[in-house]
Amino acid sequence: MNSIVSIRDVVKEYELGTTVVQALRGVSLEVMKGEFLSIAGPSGSGKTTLLNLIGCVDTATRGVVEVAGKDTAKLTERELTDLRLNTIGFIFQSFNLVAVLNVFQNVEFPLLLQRKLGSKERRDRVMNLLEQVGLHTHAKHRPSELSGGQRQRVAVARALVTDPLLVLADEPTANLDSATGNQIIDLMKELNQKKGTTFIFSTHDHKVMQHANAVIRLADGKVLARESAKDAVAHALSLGEAPAEAPAGARV
Amino acid sequence: MSRLTMLLQIAWRNLLASPVNLIIGGLILAGTFLFVVVGGLLDSLNDSMARSVIGSVAGHIQIYSSKSKDELSLFGGMGGDPDLSAVTEFPRIKEALEQVENVKEVVPMGSSGALITAGNIVDVTLERLRNLFKARDGQLDDPRLKGLSREELDTRIASTRRHVRQMIKVLEADQKKALAILKNQAIDPDVVASLAKVSQDAFWDDFDKDAMGSLEFLENKIAPQVTDAQMMFLRYLGTDLDRFQTSFDRMQIIDGTPVPKGQRGFLLAKLFYEDQMKLKNARRLDKLRDAKANGRLIAKDDELKRFVKENRSQTRDIVLQMDDLKTAEATKKLQTFLASTEPDLTTLLSTFFDTTDENLEARHQYFYKELAPMVELYKVRVGDTLTIKAFTRGGAIQAVNVRVYGTFSFTGLEKSPLAGGTSLMDLMSFRDLYGYLTADKAEELKQLQRDTGAKTVSRESAEDALFGEGNTIVAEATAGIIDEENSFTGVGRRLREDDLVKRVYTDSEINGGVILNAAVMVKDPTKLTETIAEINRVSQEKNLSIKAVSWQQASGILGQIITFFRGVLFLAVLFIFGIAMVIINNAMMMATMQRTQTIGTMRAIGAQRSLILTMVLTESVVLGVLFGGVGILLGSGVMAWLHERGIPAPNDVAYFFFSGPKLLPQLSSGNLVIALIIILLVTLISTLFPALIATRVSPLRAMQSDE
Ligand SMILES: Nc1ncnc2c1ncn2[C@@H]1O[C@H](COP(=O)(O)OP(=O)(O)OP(=O)(O)O)[C@@H](O)[C@H]1O
Ligand SMILES: [Mg+2]
Repeated sequence: MNSIVSIRDVVKEYELGTTVVQALRGVSLEVMKGEFLSIAGPSGSGKTTLLNLIGCVDTATRGVVEVAGKDTAKLTERELTDLRLNTIGFIFQSFNLVAVLNVFQNVEFPLLLQRKLGSKERRDRVMNLLEQVGLHTHAKHRPSELSGGQRQRVAVARALVTDPLLVLADEPTANLDSATGNQIIDLMKELNQKKGTTFIFSTHDHKVMQHANAVIRLADGKVLARESAKDAVAHALSLGEAPAEAPAGARV
Repeated sequence: MSRLTMLLQIAWRNLLASPVNLIIGGLILAGTFLFVVVGGLLDSLNDSMARSVIGSVAGHIQIYSSKSKDELSLFGGMGGDPDLSAVTEFPRIKEALEQVENVKEVVPMGSSGALITAGNIVDVTLERLRNLFKARDGQLDDPRLKGLSREELDTRIASTRRHVRQMIKVLEADQKKALAILKNQAIDPDVVASLAKVSQDAFWDDFDKDAMGSLEFLENKIAPQVTDAQMMFLRYLGTDLDRFQTSFDRMQIIDGTPVPKGQRGFLLAKLFYEDQMKLKNARRLDKLRDAKANGRLIAKDDELKRFVKENRSQTRDIVLQMDDLKTAEATKKLQTFLASTEPDLTTLLSTFFDTTDENLEARHQYFYKELAPMVELYKVRVGDTLTIKAFTRGGAIQAVNVRVYGTFSFTGLEKSPLAGGTSLMDLMSFRDLYGYLTADKAEELKQLQRDTGAKTVSRESAEDALFGEGNTIVAEATAGIIDEENSFTGVGRRLREDDLVKRVYTDSEINGGVILNAAVMVKDPTKLTETIAEINRVSQEKNLSIKAVSWQQASGILGQIITFFRGVLFLAVLFIFGIAMVIINNAMMMATMQRTQTIGTMRAIGAQRSLILTMVLTESVVLGVLFGGVGILLGSGVMAWLHERGIPAPNDVAYFFFSGPKLLPQLSSGNLVIALIIILLVTLISTLFPALIATRVSPLRAMQSDE
C-alpha cells in the first residue's frame, strides 16, 4: 500500500460564538506516494482547513486522518510535533522565515531540531539544497535582504532539508508574481520528480494547477471531484475564474 | 550544542532588535554593580570591624549571666550600661567551657565607669601648702612628706607660697580684663575686695601667724574664682590582666609597664589619656600637627582654626602651673624665641600659640623642648595612684586606690575612640568598686567589727560605716598634680597604700570572685555559631546559668550597624531588581506577542514546546548574564582598585570600623556567585510567564498571515 495520506469522512467544525461553521463536511481522500497533488476550490471552500489536518497542526472534529500510516487522532501533542518534524515539510504562503536567522540557518533549523546529524553533514545537506534552489551564494543573507521568490526558495529548501515523505504548501505562489510563482512550482515539481517526495499544494491559480498530476476540487467543504490537471483547468476557465495574472493576496 | 548556539544567536539578535533591552540591561547592570561593590564593602567592613571588636574587648564569644535584666552591650547601649547580673561561679564555668572543643581561652571581665573630677589647680596647690604646714608642725603623717628635714619643708613652703602668689597675680590680671569689658557692676565687689587683699604684701607678711586661717581665706574666697575644674568620665574594664594581654594580642603597652602578674593596677587607654588627661594646649598642638600630616591646612580648615583660637585664649592651664621663677624663665625664653619685648607671659603664650601652617612644626618642637618640661603635661602620670570612687550597686560609695602602671592601645586602633576609650583595671579593684565583697574587704569588715565591738554588722551598714561619707559626688578620682593628698578617712583608709598595691593575688583569687561577663576566644573562628550553641547547651546541662552570644550581638548597636546597612543594601537591590523584573516581564510579554508567527512557524516545522520555552528564557538569561556580567566586572574592577588604593579612614570613629587607618576592601568570590544567582533568578522568574505564554502559541498561527 503506497498511500501516504488517508482521509475518511472527515468533518471539521469551527465554533463562532453560538453558530457552528462546517469547514469540511465529510471529506475522504487518498494521497499516494510521489504524487504532485493540487487542491483547488473557491475561497472558503476548505483548502487550508484540509491542509492543516493533513499537516497535523489541527485535528478533525470527526472522521479519520492518517498520515504516514499513523492515525493522527491517537497521537499526543509531542508525537504530532515529531511527526511534523520528521515526515512533513511546510511551505507557507507568506514564506515564514525566521527573520533573525540567515538563509543557511533557516534551512538548517529543522536539522538542528532533529539532532540527527553532525555539523559537517548538516552543512553539506544545507548547502546541497541551497544549490538545488539556486541560492548557495546567498547563504549568509538575511531573509529581509531577499526578494519574495528567493525567500520562497529558501522555504522550499527548508521544507525539504529533512527529506520528508510529504511536503505541504498552502497557496505557495499567492504572494508572488506569476512568473516567480511558476518558477517555484517548477522547482517543486523538479524535486518531486528527482526525489519522489509527495507534494500537496493548494491554489486558486489554474496556471499553477496545471503542473499537478491530479487536482482535488473542493467546494463548500466537500470534494467535488478528483480529476486531471487538464480537466481542472478547463473547469476553472469555464467558471471564468481569475486569470493567471491574479494579484497576490487573492484570499479575502 | 549547535542548538544552543542557535538559541543564543536568536536571543542575541532579538535583544539587539529591541531598545527596551538597554533599559533592562542598565537596571541589571546597576543592581549587580551595587550589590558587588556595596556588598563587598560591607563584607570588608564587617570583617575589619570583627577584627576590631574581637581584638579589643569582645573576643569571639561573650558569656554573661542568663539572669541579667538587659542584654550584654559592651560598648554601652541606648541607656548607658546594661543591667547585668553577676556571675558568681566563674571557676566552675571556666572549667566547663574549657571542655568545649573549640574554646581556647576564657577571660573574665566586668566593665563600669566613674566620673573623675580633676579639682582646680588653686585648690590643689593650696592643699599642698596646707599639708606642708601640717607636716612642719608634725600634725600630718603624709607618707610622701615623711622624712623630710625642717629646712627642706621650709624651702618647699616658700616655693609653694610663691606659686600661690603668682596665681593670684594671674587672677588679678584676668580680673582687670574682665572689669574693662563688663563694667564694674557685673562683678561681685566682695570678689574684687578679696583679690585686692591677698595681692597685698601685708597679707603674706602675716600669713604664717595664722597659716590655717589664711589658707582657709584663700580656699573660700580665691579658689572658687577658678572654675576650670574638669569632669571626666572614666570607663574601665576589670579583667584578669595577664590573660587579657595574651588573649587580645593587638594590645600593646605604650607608656610604662604592664601590671605585674597578679597585682592590682590600672592601665589607661592611651587615647583617653591623651584626650582627657593631657594639657589641652599640648593636645591641640599634637592634633594640629597630625592634621597637617594628613594634608589639612590651618588656613583652610575651620576646625583647625578653632584649635588655634582655643590655644591662644586658653593659656591659663599653663600660666597657673608656674610659680614666679618659672614664670620669669618662661617669659624670657618666649621673648627670645618670638623676638618680643612683651613682659606678660599670657600675652606671649597667646602669640606663641598663634600657629600657622608655616610655623607649626617649629613651634610644636619648641613647645616640647622648652616649655613642656616646666609644666605637668598630664594630670595623671605613670606611677601615680588613682583614687577611684564609685557608687556600688548597693548605693554606697566605694573607693579604691589603684596604681597607674602605664597606658596601652590596640594596634591599628590607636585613634579609635571606641577602642581607646576604655581603660583596664585588675579584677580585684573592679570588684571592690562594684561593691561585691572580696576577701580583702571581708577581712577588713572583721577588723571593723572588732574595733567597734559590734557583734553583727550587716553588709549594707558595714559598707556605710566603711565608706558612707555623705558625699554627693558620683565618683571622683584624684591623683598627680591634681590632688596629691585628698583626705580619705575612715577604716577604708587601710585599703589604701602599700600592702594592697603590692599584694600579689593568686589565680584562684582572681578567678574566684564575682565577674559580669567573660570573653571566650576560640580556636576556629569559622565555627562560631556551633561553639555558641555548644556553650549554651553545656550551660543548660550543667546548670551554669550563663548565656553565650557572638561578638556581634555582644557589641550591641555597633554590631548591628553592618547588619542594618546590609538590610538597606538588600532593599535597594531588591527595589532595582523588582523594577527590572516588572520591565523584563512586560518587554518579554510584548516581544512574545510580536513573535507569535515565528513561534507558530517553529512549532509547525517541528519544534517542541520545550524548545520555545528555552528560547524565550535564553533570551532574558543572555540579557541578564551579559549586563550582570558587565556589572560584576565593573564592580570587581572598582573593588580591586579600592583594594590597591585602600580607603583612608575619614575620621577617628572610622578607625574602629576600618580596623586601622585604611580599609582594604576585599571581594569575596561568594558575593560574585550570589550576584550571579540573583541575576539568574531575577531574569528567569520575570520571563517565566511570557515563556509559558509562548509555548501555548499554536502551530496554526504559522498559517495565518501577519496582517
Ligand atoms: N479559525 C477559524 N474559525 C472559524 N471559521 C474558520 C476558521 N478557519 C476557517 N474558517 C471557515 O472555514 C471555511 C473554510 O476556510 P478555509 O480557510 O479552509 O478556506 P480556503 O479554501 O483556504 O479559502 P481561501 O482560498 O480564501 O484561503 C470558511 O468558511 C472559513 O470562514
Ligand atoms: Mg486558504
